[in-house]
Amino acid sequence: MFEELVKTYTFKKGMPNQRFTFVPHPITGLPAATCRRFLQGNDPVTGKPVLDEIVAALTLPLSAEDSKKGFIERPTPRMVPPDTEENLHRLFLENQWTDGLPIVLPTEARVAEMLKGTSHAPDEPVGKMQPSSPHEAWNYDVERVAVNAVMAGARPEHLPVILALASTGVPSLYTSTTSFARMVVVNGPIRNELRMNAGIGALGPFNQANSVIGRAWTLMSINLSASGKAGETYMGSQGNNYNYNNLCMPENEEELPEGWKPFHVQLGYKPGESVVSTFNGWGFIHPDQSFGKPFHTQIPFWLKFVSPFSPAMLLLDPTIIHQLKEREGFDSKEQLIEWIHKNTKVSVGDWLDNFYSVQNFVHPVGRRGVEPFASWLKLPREEMIPQIASPDNIHILSVGGGTNLFWQAGDFGHVSSASVDKWR
Amino acid sequence: MKKRMSLRLVLGFAAAAVLAGAGRAQEPKFTVHNPLGQPPAIARVPMAPRIDSLEGKTIYIVDIGFTDTHQFFTEMRDLLGAKYPETEWVVRTKIGTYFDDDPALWAEIKEKGHGMIMGIGH
Repeated sequence: MFEELVKTYTFKKGMPNQRFTFVPHPITGLPAATCRRFLQGNDPVTGKPVLDEIVAALTLPLSAEDSKKGFIERPTPRMVPPDTEENLHRLFLENQWTDGLPIVLPTEARVAEMLKGTSHAPDEPVGKMQPSSPHEAWNYDVERVAVNAVMAGARPEHLPVILALASTGVPSLYTSTTSFARMVVVNGPIRNELRMNAGIGALGPFNQANSVIGRAWTLMSINLSASGKAGETYMGSQGNNYNYNNLCMPENEEELPEGWKPFHVQLGYKPGESVVSTFNGWGFIHPDQSFGKPFHTQIPFWLKFVSPFSPAMLLLDPTIIHQLKEREGFDSKEQLIEWIHKNTKVSVGDWLDNFYSVQNFVHPVGRRGVEPFASWLKLPREEMIPQIASPDNIHILSVGGGTNLFWQAGDFGHVSSASVDKWR
Repeated sequence: MKKRMSLRLVLGFAAAAVLAGAGRAQEPKFTVHNPLGQPPAIARVPMAPRIDSLEGKTIYIVDIGFTDTHQFFTEMRDLLGAKYPETEWVVRTKIGTYFDDDPALWAEIKEKGHGMIMGIGH
């Protein structure tokens, strides 16, 4: 299953003939006898004995091709050769230039019309994007972003938000075997200019701007960074349905009570600036709640499932936010975040034993002396430590139309933000 | 009678084929933009020279540190050691997570090793 990834990856790194031996997957947690069986068996790709292949890789002489230097150029033509509408739709689908849903063909006229949505020149560089940090980054300009915006069904007035998203260089399809989701949140006046929906059904398929901006991000990820090629630049075992639209939503700023800042203002932007922000995580759930008790004391229970390596995000309906402020005394998001950080705890024993991410990521970092993990690793197993390592990793967003005291909790963390106004 | 039927059928097919061909010819063609970004040029990297024999050599086996995979690499060392006893097989775990570089280990391998097997996966 990793053959294509390995071959294409080493090709892009300049060693198309790099030597590999495969064994059955996975190898984590295997007893010694199974490890030996895999190593004494055959490579499932080539059918040859694993140990012999390893030795051959070390000792067989290099070919002239193996020692080559120089560059392999891969220019991208600006236009696709002319063809009928039906054939072009088939071409885009077969080349995996779409998300599998019908697209709007990016004709010259449609792209020219889309480009009216920004004052920036078509050939102005926008950024670079890559499926994940080890992969190569591709470049793109304003025109290529506009092409993908047309394909997503966007209108010229949506283009500044889509360009701002593209300028972050963050793909919506982040490759990992764990099937990440990504999220896009819009703040500031542009939300209302585009008539985005932050109210009833904000996260559902009920609003053109919410729909097409989120979809454009995925099409850009597929086409501007070559993300999302299953088996090559996308390895998520199950995939993530959120990737179709990336939970695209505006924050419901109008319903925030006094003292509760919109997300972009928390970051230091002015309230009148329009900003797009991206987040990374896996999913949201809605654990049950008790209406008869204060909400804030239930939040640590809601967040029990969140990995200590991950951030935490709460999507709160404005009705809950008003209750938190008016009945429970939280005058700002920051005050509630501090309370959550102090009161959501996990025992050191659970932290060490029950979270793969702690074993895989936190443990090696702590062993190198990085705080607070280094100190936490020395504590007795019964000691309680914060489940979310830092208050900076806790996010609260206002969304919803007030039809229920509804909320969702997830493991999304902030990745990047960019000015929309810069791309008008 | 049979002959007339066959002739009519052939003429019918021919007419249908001409009409279909005309339909295709009239179908408009469009020029559309290529949606792809620009990949960078690939800089070829010559592969490291190979050794002609394992005898008397030191080969490093590098564990990139994925959870619970170290056993696999120690078993690899033991099996290769049994099969090639004249070779020194050294298992080392790269520092940090698999995101982290380990220049000190690479320097050590360049200085003391004759080859390296990098274990990637989980």
